Amino acid sequence: MDEKTRDEASKDNFRQEPKVGVYVCHCGGNISDIIDVKAVAAALAKYPGVAVAREYAFMCSSNGQDLITEDIKNLGINRTVVAACSPSLHELTFRNVLQRAGVNPYLHEHINIREQASWVHKLDKAGATAKAIKLAQAGVEKVLRKDALNAIRVAAEQRVAVIGGGVAGMRAALSAAGKGLEAVIIEKAPRLGGKLLELGKIYPSGEEGAAVAKKLETLVLAEKKITVHTGADIDYVSGFVGNFKVNFKKPDGSSRQVKAGAIVMATGYEHYKPAQGEFGYGEDANVVTLPEFLALMKNSPAGRLELAGREIKSLALIHCVGSRQVEGVHKPQADGKINDYCSRVCCSSALYAANQVKERYPGVRIYDVYRDIRTYGMQHEEYYDKASRDGVLFFRHNDTDQPAVTSDRTGHTVKVKDVLTWGEELEVKADLIVLVTGMMPADISLIKSQLKLPSSADRFLQEVHLKLRPVELANSGIFVAGTAQYPMDVTEAMASAGTAAAKAAILLAEPDIPLEPFVAVVDEAKCTGCGLCPAECSYDGALMMGEHKGKKVAIVNPALCKGCGACVAVCPTRAINVAGWTLDQFDAMVEAIAKE
Amino acid sequence: MRELEKIEVDTLVVGSGIAGLQSALDLADQGFSVAIVEKAPSIGGKMISLSKVFPTLDCASCITTPRMASVSHHPRITTLTYSTVDAIRRDGKTFTASVTRKPRYIDEKECISCKRCEEVCPVFVPDEYEVGLGAKKTISIPFTNAIPQYPVMHPEHCIRCGACARACPKDCIEFLQEPAPVEIKAKAVILATGYETTPMTAKKQYGLGKLPNVISPMAAERLLAPHGPYGRVLRPSDGMTPGSIAYVQCAGSRDKSIGIPYCSRVCCMYAIKQAILLSGSLPIADITIYYMDIRAFGKGYEQFYNNARAMGINFVKAKVARITEDEKHNPILRIERQEGTSGPDEVKHELVVLSQGLIPGHDASAFGLGTENNDFGFVKLSDEMVSSAVTAGAGVFAAGVVKGPRDIPDSVVDAGSAAMEAASYMRKL
Repeated sequence: MDEKTRDEASKDNFRQEPKVGVYVCHCGGNISDIIDVKAVAAALAKYPGVAVAREYAFMCSSNGQDLITEDIKNLGINRTVVAACSPSLHELTFRNVLQRAGVNPYLHEHINIREQASWVHKLDKAGATAKAIKLAQAGVEKVLRKDALNAIRVAAEQRVAVIGGGVAGMRAALSAAGKGLEAVIIEKAPRLGGKLLELGKIYPSGEEGAAVAKKLETLVLAEKKITVHTGADIDYVSGFVGNFKVNFKKPDGSSRQVKAGAIVMATGYEHYKPAQGEFGYGEDANVVTLPEFLALMKNSPAGRLELAGREIKSLALIHCVGSRQVEGVHKPQADGKINDYCSRVCCSSALYAANQVKERYPGVRIYDVYRDIRTYGMQHEEYYDKASRDGVLFFRHNDTDQPAVTSDRTGHTVKVKDVLTWGEELEVKADLIVLVTGMMPADISLIKSQLKLPSSADRFLQEVHLKLRPVELANSGIFVAGTAQYPMDVTEAMASAGTAAAKAAILLAEPDIPLEPFVAVVDEAKCTGCGLCPAECSYDGALMMGEHKGKKVAIVNPALCKGCGACVAVCPTRAINVAGWTLDQFDAMVEAIAKE
Repeated sequence: MRELEKIEVDTLVVGSGIAGLQSALDLADQGFSVAIVEKAPSIGGKMISLSKVFPTLDCASCITTPRMASVSHHPRITTLTYSTVDAIRRDGKTFTASVTRKPRYIDEKECISCKRCEEVCPVFVPDEYEVGLGAKKTISIPFTNAIPQYPVMHPEHCIRCGACARACPKDCIEFLQEPAPVEIKAKAVILATGYETTPMTAKKQYGLGKLPNVISPMAAERLLAPHGPYGRVLRPSDGMTPGSIAYVQCAGSRDKSIGIPYCSRVCCMYAIKQAILLSGSLPIADITIYYMDIRAFGKGYEQFYNNARAMGINFVKAKVARITEDEKHNPILRIERQEGTSGPDEVKHELVVLSQGLIPGHDASAFGLGTENNDFGFVKLSDEMVSSAVTAGAGVFAAGVVKGPRDIPDSVVDAGSAAMEAASYMRKL
């Protein structure tokens, strides 16, 4: 449902006598296997202020939602507490239920009895039940003190800033422009195309990477709604949903600013760079990474695969270099973490490259040292099949038995404990070692710190929810496209970028954007104008000292305030509160929990 | 036939699995009107019947039902369930779809979903939602979370006793209801017809579906689901709690002998997920996964696989050649180990799950819209290096598994992109 309809549906119910409905969710068993949900509902039904308490298998389902709307209609329920999963999952679902039923959506309290009770107290069912009751009672106390709130509306720039001009960035801009939005691509390199420009023939189409980039670039340049800035050095990104500002230096040194309602992060990846000496890399010229090998193959003459003039008659591919790393086996990266994720594309690209070698240089012997061959895509299994047919020899090792490379005058020797031949230690000689390197996210630490973007344990940008909101970052109005999120191939980057554009288009479908009303509110009567709070505020312009009826007071700009509450903590007179999360509400919650 | 009903929308979405639902929402939220046609009696596709989903172990219902509810409440989305798309005609820039609403044998306008008909019906039939593991009444609401909440009657099983008609407080049982034709006009079409799993009968070496304790992964999902047929994990032949469970990977993928050489992408992960869930509900059970390669390639998947190994689930690199059973219906697997003591071996388990692959749910080329299929019947894209949704048929876009196997996160991402291509196309019309 769109925001406008919602706002109209919403009425001022908070003036009515509060009638709280409490709804306890089984979460299919996630909650009810541990917590006695019937006991929770029964305890809450007796709690002061509660008009009705129910339990149901899936409150978030249509049937569950209907229970609430029926109670609103038939019993006059005007405030709700749902004791269920995490609010990050379904608080919005239930706010929408209230809205549809004509109750202000912010007169809802979502209590998490899954993560905070059933999941953490699996072995103490009675304790978990008692805790769930307390938490739900605290929720009742809070919701009784809530005010009806309305979303803050801010005018939005009808423009999408796409940071990164690789294939994902180009697709995001094209899709946004296709919908009629202006799109601006900001790319640091002198030309569009990103990493694809460096790669040779790529799967699945078999085109040169540069040719794929060119196709998208041609579409981008033909699209009037897209502006392209290449050679752009971003120095400052600021603002909030609807009103972002991306500041960058052009190659001539001049400064530019792009204003945008939404940002698409299409900042891509870097190839994993093996550590000095990792499988001999950096110590021996005949140890190269897969991307380096693709370039080498591109530059080799027909009929003779060569490196620096020397013919390569045999090569060994070593998979999972910089991916699927194991604690205690692999050395951590500079930040102390290991790359324990799978880089997704390397198996297919390695075998695709092996097949090209066999096609162009049939005499070259190829050894493939792997852990699992992950050729998952529609055509990818064929690469594996063809490589096996054409005589590529496969050796499979366990994660803790890493292969080793030694070098002498006669070439390289790969030692591998091959599980396919009863765990025997085998040795193969090869002229060239190709390290099948994975992906790491590009260094975007500056933008990340300025916009406070979240990253996951693998250092890639972290989406809100892999299935519910897969291309949205927690920062409203910022979306992720392509390998900035996780390793993926071109076809997958197209899907991801198209969806990032879709989410931007949905956000900007109306000229103004609704923001959550959870911002600081100053009680001018209580404010003494002491000036302590602006010093605590981390958001430029969100909180400043000003005048109200001739008195010096703190003044909040609701569009800029993030509701962090830092100002609340320092106010000596309790004059500031975050709407929806007031000190009075917290006091009442604590009382309810602490009560014997 | 009843009177022709006419619907005019911007986009027609065929299929209401997670990809269809998401693309409909992503279009409707941009202001476009959408009609979804679903052949099953409820929206939600395959996902709604799953237990929990990898790699986060969210319950599938917790993710799907809110999407289903958003679609059914959306002012710009019209949903036609239990309806088939018989043909789609292209007239210039408009598509006209001939759709048939199959008879539920109730008056949908009057039905209040009270379930009285279901309660009094004396005839039990196998419940396909529970993959045959449970029974339902011949007139019944398809499942707890179904949308819409209308019962469906199966006349082939009905004994015409009239109990339902007498019990119905709204007098809405219609024994003589006929199919109703609907005509949908739209500017663009999104194909989201999803998949079926490879049939149990695909491989004669695996018992052709006749061994009672060799089950499909969909059946295993139901056994593990919070509202499954038995409320716990029991094996079909004798209701015993299995103490030793095996997964046979690539049972219907990467197998040229059954014409499916491709990898189905999801089976490694769902097997690992089910194994993790099983070890939660049957803590002392032995769980073994016989695999060729473990393909845990998505975000967070490798860590999920590592967790499963740390929990003590056995991963054995072996190809299963044949499955037979002993006199107690314990499945016996003839395997070839590919590591350790390599060579053939016979192992006995108490329950076996065949990790079936994915095949197209519908031949989309049969709509005659100019779309092309690849060698395996999935929809081919015009140029997958440039767009993830544009097909060879102008104005026809594809979302989700209709293009080839993919998991839920990939299908959801895919759906938004299909919606965006349709939006761009309609804007330029």
